[in-house]
Amino acid sequence: MATTGNKNINAKLVLLGDVGAGKSSLVLRFVKGQFIEFQESTIGAAFFSQTLAVNDATVKFEIWDTAGQERYHSLAPMYYRGAAAAIIVYDITNQASFERAKKWVQELQAQGNPNMVMALAGNKADLLDAKKVEAEASTLVLLLEAQAYAQEHGLFFMETSAKTAANVNEVFYEIAKRLPRVQPAQNSSGMVLMDRPAERIASTSCCS
Amino acid sequence: MYGTQSKRDLALEFQSQIPILRPSIHARRANLTVKFQDLYGFTVEGNVDDVNVLNEVREKVRQQGRVWWALEASKGANWYLQPSISEGQSLKASLKLSAMANAITLKRLIRKGIPPVLRPKIWFSLSGAAKKKSTVPDSYYNDLTKAVEGKVTPATRQIDHDLPRTFPGHSWLDTPEGHATLRRVLVGYSFRDSDVGYCQGLNYVAALLLLVMKTEEDAFWMLAVLLENVLVSDCYTTNLSGCHVEQRVFKDLLAKKCPRIATHLEALEFDVSLVATEWFLCLFSKSLPSETTLRVWDVLFYEGAKVLFHVALAIFKMKEEELIHSHHVGDVINILQKTTHHLFDPDELLTVAFDKIGSMTTNTISKQRKKQEPAVMAELDQRLRRLNSLKLDDK
Repeated sequence: MATTGNKNINAKLVLLGDVGAGKSSLVLRFVKGQFIEFQESTIGAAFFSQTLAVNDATVKFEIWDTAGQERYHSLAPMYYRGAAAAIIVYDITNQASFERAKKWVQELQAQGNPNMVMALAGNKADLLDAKKVEAEASTLVLLLEAQAYAQEHGLFFMETSAKTAANVNEVFYEIAKRLPRVQPAQNSSGMVLMDRPAERIASTSCCS
Repeated sequence: MYGTQSKRDLALEFQSQIPILRPSIHARRANLTVKFQDLYGFTVEGNVDDVNVLNEVREKVRQQGRVWWALEASKGANWYLQPSISEGQSLKASLKLSAMANAITLKRLIRKGIPPVLRPKIWFSLSGAAKKKSTVPDSYYNDLTKAVEGKVTPATRQIDHDLPRTFPGHSWLDTPEGHATLRRVLVGYSFRDSDVGYCQGLNYVAALLLLVMKTEEDAFWMLAVLLENVLVSDCYTTNLSGCHVEQRVFKDLLAKKCPRIATHLEALEFDVSLVATEWFLCLFSKSLPSETTLRVWDVLFYEGAKVLFHVALAIFKMKEEELIHSHHVGDVINILQKTTHHLFDPDELLTVAFDKIGSMTTNTISKQRKKQEPAVMAELDQRLRRLNSLKLDDK
């Protein structure tokens, strides 16, 4: 739960998503500004913390980066229990990982903190221009689907690339802005914001 | 056979680095961080104190080796390969007094560490791996790896995904040869036991087994005996139920053996499983320095899975004062991570684990597991049912 004190907010954040979607890479990029092609596979979950200043507060994220393999999902409640925020990560080139992301959204909405701020991150945005045109078409369809899904379910959606750093800080920044400031009683549905869907898709082509 | 030569080279390289690594008083003051390869080819980053500790540990390993050689001289070669006293009643009854005495000596000796050169032989015999291997034809492993070559399953896909992510940067594991060898062991096992298939975490365990055992076949059998006999069952299967059971037992033990810590952490709403799950699934290989991990495994293979509780409790116990003065979950994790990463002196850990934690018999722990099993099953079942009902709602 996000706790406040002198505009210092401690917020537990959990990353969930399919194996290989890039959860650990997103965290590593955010916390250390690095990208490593082959990161050690996460067992159980790994813990990180990072502080972020937004306009009116300093948010200290306590980040739980969870293991992606299916059988580890039975451990997930321990990590999302009491979380103020969640980033659900999928690989934009992998339909199955999006299906898995939807299941996580369902589970969190049913079990998690009702005020939890949720982000859907379509990771590996850098792959978009590296792929062939035919492959790109299906990826674009998936992106539109993800955006619609996010809107429908009250999450905010961003395309990210841990590799190029595109939108990585932004996801955490958006979450920090959306965290309840005083009491966790606020209704989060009024704060849903779509992230300029059309522009995002177009802008990824400039990633290198 | 693979890489035994390069392993020996690593050891020599390590030894030759020792004098260079002796830190000066200036280095101490500057609190410099040094980077070097340890005995098993892992890159270690530590401060000058860590290097000093490692030098002392190496000297202790040498002394401990001399104790083993002396005993070998007086008791005869391979005296330690006799069956252990824990191997069942009928055997116990037939044991001679001298064998009993040997077993007691051996238990004490193993807690002080098996010399690295003897490890493959002793682990293989005392863990029961040799016995397991002897029940099948000699060609079992070769036949298995040949039969599964080229087959693609969810397990093999996950294994392929994890190979470059298993101790990346290691001088042998992170090479094409290292990847291929680890792959054969993990894929082979995934076909041997389709209930386990492949579970993330086993990659680290198998990798370390490869570094210790002389052949990949022996590493395979060590993995088999570990999963089938040493550890509690279902640690790595579909919903990790065995792992959930161990975590509950661990929480109870912490409350009993370290009540001050348990009470404080509970007040902080810190669930000890947040950190301990990885310890139990990777058998500490991802948290402790390699020689310390292997010293834990020395005892694990002789005394059984209860050793994991001893060690996990010891890590908390060692930092009792710091832990009960922590105010945030993040601080607790930092204390524990810093402690495990710098535990270069295995004796420091194992002394606490066995002398300060007090004895726990395998029997008592088995009883506690039995007690926890229904609760774990109910919890896992409930979660599944909830998730299934969500799916129905969605339609």
